[in-house]
Amino acid sequence: MKTNSTLKMKAENVRVFYGANEAIKGIDMNVYQNEVLAFIGPSGCGKSTFLRCLNRMNDTIDQCRVTGLIELDGQDMYDPRLDVVQLRAQIGMVFQKPNPFPKSIYDNIAYGPKLHGLASKKSELDDIVESSLQKAGLWKEVKDRLDQPGTGLSGGQQQRLCIARTIAVSPEVILMDEPCSALDPIATSIIEELIDELKANYTIVMVTHNMQQAARVSDRTAFFHMGEMIEIGSTTEMFTKPNNKRTEDYITGRYG
Amino acid sequence: MNKITGHYSHAYDDELNEAVDRLIRMGALVGEQLQDAIKAFIKGDRELASQVIQTDRKVNAQEIDIEEHCLDIIARRQPTAIDLRLIVGVLKSINDVERIGDQAEHIAKQLLDEDCQRPTDAQLEDIDMMGDKVLNMLQQALLSFQRMDPALALDVLKQDRLVDHDYGRILRHNLTYMLEDTRQITRGLHLIWVARALERIGDHAQNICEFSIFITKGRNVSHLTEDEVDAVVHDKV
Amino acid sequence: MNMNSNNGSVSDNQLIKNKVAASLARRHRQEKLLRGTGLAAVLISLALVSLLFINIFSKGLPAFWQTSITLDIYFDPSVLQISEKPVQRADEHDNAFRQRDLEWRSEVGRINFNRLISTALMDVLPDAEQHRRHVLRMVTSGERFALRDMVINDPSIIGSTQRLHLLTDANIDVWIKGNIDRSLPDHQQQLSPIVRQWADALYANGTIKNRFSFALFMNPDSRSSLASAGLAGAFMGSLFMMLIVMFLAVPLGVAAAIYLEEFAPRNKLTDLIEVNINNLAAVPSIVFGLLGAAVFIGMFNLPMSTPLVGGLVLSLMTLPTVIIATRSSLKAIPPSIRQAALGLGASKMQTIFHHVLPLAIPGILTASILGVAQALGEAAPLLLIGMKSFVATVSVSPMEQSTALPVQIFLWQGNELRNFFEARTSAAIIVLLTLMISLNAVAIWLRKRFEQRW
Repeated sequence: MKTNSTLKMKAENVRVFYGANEAIKGIDMNVYQNEVLAFIGPSGCGKSTFLRCLNRMNDTIDQCRVTGLIELDGQDMYDPRLDVVQLRAQIGMVFQKPNPFPKSIYDNIAYGPKLHGLASKKSELDDIVESSLQKAGLWKEVKDRLDQPGTGLSGGQQQRLCIARTIAVSPEVILMDEPCSALDPIATSIIEELIDELKANYTIVMVTHNMQQAARVSDRTAFFHMGEMIEIGSTTEMFTKPNNKRTEDYITGRYG
Repeated sequence: MNKITGHYSHAYDDELNEAVDRLIRMGALVGEQLQDAIKAFIKGDRELASQVIQTDRKVNAQEIDIEEHCLDIIARRQPTAIDLRLIVGVLKSINDVERIGDQAEHIAKQLLDEDCQRPTDAQLEDIDMMGDKVLNMLQQALLSFQRMDPALALDVLKQDRLVDHDYGRILRHNLTYMLEDTRQITRGLHLIWVARALERIGDHAQNICEFSIFITKGRNVSHLTEDEVDAVVHDKV
Repeated sequence: MNMNSNNGSVSDNQLIKNKVAASLARRHRQEKLLRGTGLAAVLISLALVSLLFINIFSKGLPAFWQTSITLDIYFDPSVLQISEKPVQRADEHDNAFRQRDLEWRSEVGRINFNRLISTALMDVLPDAEQHRRHVLRMVTSGERFALRDMVINDPSIIGSTQRLHLLTDANIDVWIKGNIDRSLPDHQQQLSPIVRQWADALYANGTIKNRFSFALFMNPDSRSSLASAGLAGAFMGSLFMMLIVMFLAVPLGVAAAIYLEEFAPRNKLTDLIEVNINNLAAVPSIVFGLLGAAVFIGMFNLPMSTPLVGGLVLSLMTLPTVIIATRSSLKAIPPSIRQAALGLGASKMQTIFHHVLPLAIPGILTASILGVAQALGEAAPLLLIGMKSFVATVSVSPMEQSTALPVQIFLWQGNELRNFFEARTSAAIIVLLTLMISLNAVAIWLRKRFEQRW
């Protein structure tokens, strides 16, 4: 697969500590514009922790300390002068379990834009809501019931609602933490198709424990093991001819 | 024998080993068929020749059987990396093995032409020698696959030059005979066809070796020079 | 060999099945025992609760009806010799008018209204002349003030005859309702024989009747005229305290819970605070009364026996309950909602106020109302801050002395006229229970209402 070579995010020697326990042990990584980068690895390998470093969600956890450098467009993300609220608008996040707010579909989408003052008029807000739902492929299904609760949708629709909600604040990067793990195979396929479409406008970094999903949707794959990044490379290469023995053992289902 | 092990699912290990085993068994059957074909041609044994032709149906059935087994693994296990390469290698190898069977059948069929004069002993000696070489190549190719031994595979690849050389020699001799004596043409053509079949069998054995290198080294070497393949096998790339 | 091992596994299976079957019987027995015990416990507690309710209602409900006597009272101008009711003149100063009015009222107050009552009674009682001194025992002493107030409100009734229902003496109520043993000898009876005869006669001809007792709800407590003792004073006291608890303990508790749950750093100090709050919730309420007496009355010199101090003490008592319940309803909000909001770029504050709190409100409301209800039913701490004193007026501000419903129950329960106040006490308990059940119903309704907003 073709990958864009414009650098979007850069991580250098990133370490994460939970108290005295080192969860991430020095990771270097480049994320390129408009690529889909997948993190795979066994449970507890640090892939989700590292993903959360990329929009500073780890800030909300007590006793979590991040060292090293993470840059977005050359700007240090952990610069104390940087406003984390602004950062999270630039780097959206979709979570494992679909988590729409217990509000109407409309309000779910409109919440972010209102928060960041992206719309000055009701009509502008309406436009944002519509275009976000369009991009998330949900508009046709919900356009007649925008006033109904988002929690009343099916699991797959809820997850697309969450993606639409993330898109609504016009992020540059979208982080997805096992976005399909709670969904059935058809809903999963729809989300995977959506990720493929979103790639044109956004840079996507996703964690998945479904290796086949990483193989299906990502341009590049990174393999994590015990808090280290063992291997990163093109997904095709990774799934036909990985360079590292531990990677191969993991993706072929062998005990290393 | 280099067994495939280490999967969390032992059944998966067994299935992959089964695929390789079946390929080797099919290869052994085809090897016998080839041996019989050469023997029948040299001895002029029509009975044996028709047996060789019969065997081809068995070979075809085995090919379909292995193909189904591999499809089953792909559908249910979604193999990746070395496992994926192994299945692809087996699927492609059975094709070559089956073609070797076809060539053996072709050799046996040369004997069925009732009108043809028997070749001279010297001519049969040439075919016999070439046949031995090809048979050896096939057996070693299968062994390299079974053992996942790229060095052995490389060795087999190198042997093909000798077979090609034999084919060139037989071709030249028979062309000379046919120019000298037009009555020799039918016999000459038969001999050339047999040599041609053996030469093709050598190429198929070579393909099997290339797949075994592909499985272990992850590189497709079918269009590389001998030195380049050598570099791949010895991880000099 | 193969056969053998097969046989072995078959008999093994049989062995295991037998073992399971044996243990199954035991397990079923235990299960039945547990279920039986549980059911018995529920039935026993149901029986006890219904016993309590039956007891209270059977005793208390009759007290909502009270005997009164129908009399034609002639507002005799010869008795009611009073000057004209003053009217404020245009050029008159307010204070001057108030002074004149007060003088007039005390002039009316000096009149002996009992004369009107006894005159009216003489007409209906047989042989009244011989037993003159017993006549006024028929009507409770407080009713003369009712007549006085009628005259003060409208002096024009002087000279007219009004048909009025006057409350009988408490002992007549007891006598007629059969709450005293009629076979007791005269010296053990509360009433003289002639009064008992009169009461029976008047009850027989319908002059004395059981009527719904508005006095119970409209009047303050009384010691001189027991039949007119009511709950109004105690009710107002409880109302003021309830309002104080609602507007003090609830906002404070919710704010403290939000801070502790969402903002406070996890360290030794907050751990200590948490332990203290949990312990405070378990402190006996009477200790809060001591604290209130020492701090609010002793140190801040707030007036004793007032709903203000009572409300403050009850607020202190309710605070830990509100904090703990609010914290647990905040904890119950799924972290995924917080993550969603934070992930969209909401600040911590926005996350809490836009998402977490609205979802926690049903729980917080329920906890608060239950806390208030608990405070409303509390008597012990109020005794220690002087709210058990007898107050014969209905307070109109929380700074005035007052009593409270549970304390009123306590006071009536100890009244020496047992056979009248036993029923009165149960009636007061019914009023208090009704109030509590209504508060709980409001809590349930609010929870349902807010939960409908998903």
